[in-house]
Amino acid sequence: MGVIFSSQLLASVMVLASLYALVAIGLNLVYGTMRLLNVAHGELVMLGGYIAYWGFARWGISPLLSTFIAMVAGAAVGALVYVAIIRHLFRSTRVLARVEANSLLAFFGISVVIQNVTALAFTANQRGYSYMDEVLLIGDLRIAANRVLALAIAATACIACALFFRYARSGMAMRAVIQQRDAAALVGIDVDRINIQVFALGFALAALAGTLISMTQQISPFMGFPFTVSAFVIIILGGLGNLTGSIFGALMLAAVEVYGAALISPSFRSILVYGVFIAVLLLRPEGLLGRSIAAR
Amino acid sequence: MKRRRQAGLTLAAVVALCAALPLALGPYTLGVGLNLLMWIALAESWATFSGLSGYVSLGHAVFYGVGAYVTVLSWNVLPLWLGVSLGGLAAGLLALCLGWPCLRVRGPYFVILTLGISEFVKYVVISIEAALGRNGRLLIGTPSLTILFEAMLALAVLSMATLQIVRSSRLGAGLLAIREDEVAAEAVGINAAALKLFAFTLSAFIPGVVGGLMILRSTYFEPMQAFSPTTSFTIVTIAILGGSDKVAGPVLGAFFLVLLSELLWTRAPEIYMIILGALLIVFVLFVPEGLFGRAQRLLGWAAR
Repeated sequence: MGVIFSSQLLASVMVLASLYALVAIGLNLVYGTMRLLNVAHGELVMLGGYIAYWGFARWGISPLLSTFIAMVAGAAVGALVYVAIIRHLFRSTRVLARVEANSLLAFFGISVVIQNVTALAFTANQRGYSYMDEVLLIGDLRIAANRVLALAIAATACIACALFFRYARSGMAMRAVIQQRDAAALVGIDVDRINIQVFALGFALAALAGTLISMTQQISPFMGFPFTVSAFVIIILGGLGNLTGSIFGALMLAAVEVYGAALISPSFRSILVYGVFIAVLLLRPEGLLGRSIAAR
Repeated sequence: MKRRRQAGLTLAAVVALCAALPLALGPYTLGVGLNLLMWIALAESWATFSGLSGYVSLGHAVFYGVGAYVTVLSWNVLPLWLGVSLGGLAAGLLALCLGWPCLRVRGPYFVILTLGISEFVKYVVISIEAALGRNGRLLIGTPSLTILFEAMLALAVLSMATLQIVRSSRLGAGLLAIREDEVAAEAVGINAAALKLFAFTLSAFIPGVVGGLMILRSTYFEPMQAFSPTTSFTIVTIAILGGSDKVAGPVLGAFFLVLLSELLWTRAPEIYMIILGALLIVFVLFVPEGLFGRAQRLLGWAAR
């Protein structure tokens, strides 16, 4: 029983969950407003990681500063993807069901392009840098300082997002579009503009998560897809389109992953995540917490 | 009737010509030919299910990988032809088991589910191999390139014939109806679940055999490679490039892709993948009818 309550594992769950939540909120935003599954989402995490790595290794830019650079870059990529590809897809395809399958193929193409452009620029090798990697001793908990920092920043960003969706005008507009797309357009919300903002915000959050992840582990051009899968599991656990549910979903998945790895074997981690992913898709695609989204 | 017979004779002549190619070609060109036939066989069998039903599978690598794995496991245990056929059957059986729960899931969920399952099976095989203490298996004394080429040619022809037969059968009509509107198709009495399951299983067999043959070509089995999602991705790209529900589409797509890969793969694999990804985006957005559909329209042929 001691394993379950060890502060070491609890801390790991918290760190992982906060990072996952950040990635998942972005994916959920895009899904919620447009019903599009962005399989290229993890690629933005990877890009964020490379921005932090390159800035630090090449010019000695603090990864803390890179978080902002990465967010701006992520937002720009998001807006570009929407304007250049997704908006066109909405216009050119008449059948909604086709939009979903086609957008997935388009996102898949985007993901392959981003991965390989990165591999071309930085080689496919794993990269890492050490930043604030001294070990802190908090009670009987030993934890690297960069993980504490990642947890703090990710948690702050999640809370900021929650506040933004609750109180800010455009945050409320985003929620309105998620709940009732057509009605939102009727009461005067510019849905196209919200779509751009959603892409920019979602991609920026993923890139932010990427910079934090790069402080704590090695990065490679092909690290993104597992994050997409995890984020996808999370938004299903927490409810598609349900933004605060994502935070609970992240906690659940992180707990399964960390305890699964600790109690069974670390090599089962991928099997575990993909297993949960498949089970969730087969059993409850409408989400564990969320109400089902019947109206399209 | 006469025209059909002529077409049949022409096809037979083309196949016979291809079968004679190993006499004329060097090992390098023959290898390229093998790759081309492999992608044709894979993309045609993918189209038999996904092209007709609209259920896009991004997980056909799992059937390829399972075929390869079964062939490798039966290496030096069973006769080779039996091992390779068992690979195909195992892939079909896997599709039957997977299809039953998975085919209820629709649209983008199905796409991402197939991708997830393919990765899941990959990691399961990796941990099985790790538990057995094997990392990578070497096959020594595999059949010659000529034999593999002839076998792959037979598979490609079989795969094309399957698509053609299914397309012009009640099964194909049912699948097309499901693609257009599944609820309506069921309302007029099509047993959608059974048709989808049958077509899914059918489309898994050939990739299994192809996987077995290609592992004999590479003579080295490593799960990361055998189950690589790149295989699935390439199949889908070929089918989308070519135009996916007619027999000629994937053939055209495969020619294009193999040409591109010959030009770029060895020298600049990243650029090759970038071009592939970009082509997928462009074709999904601007040329949904594919190369074949575009060519047909340009030539002003009557749509069949």
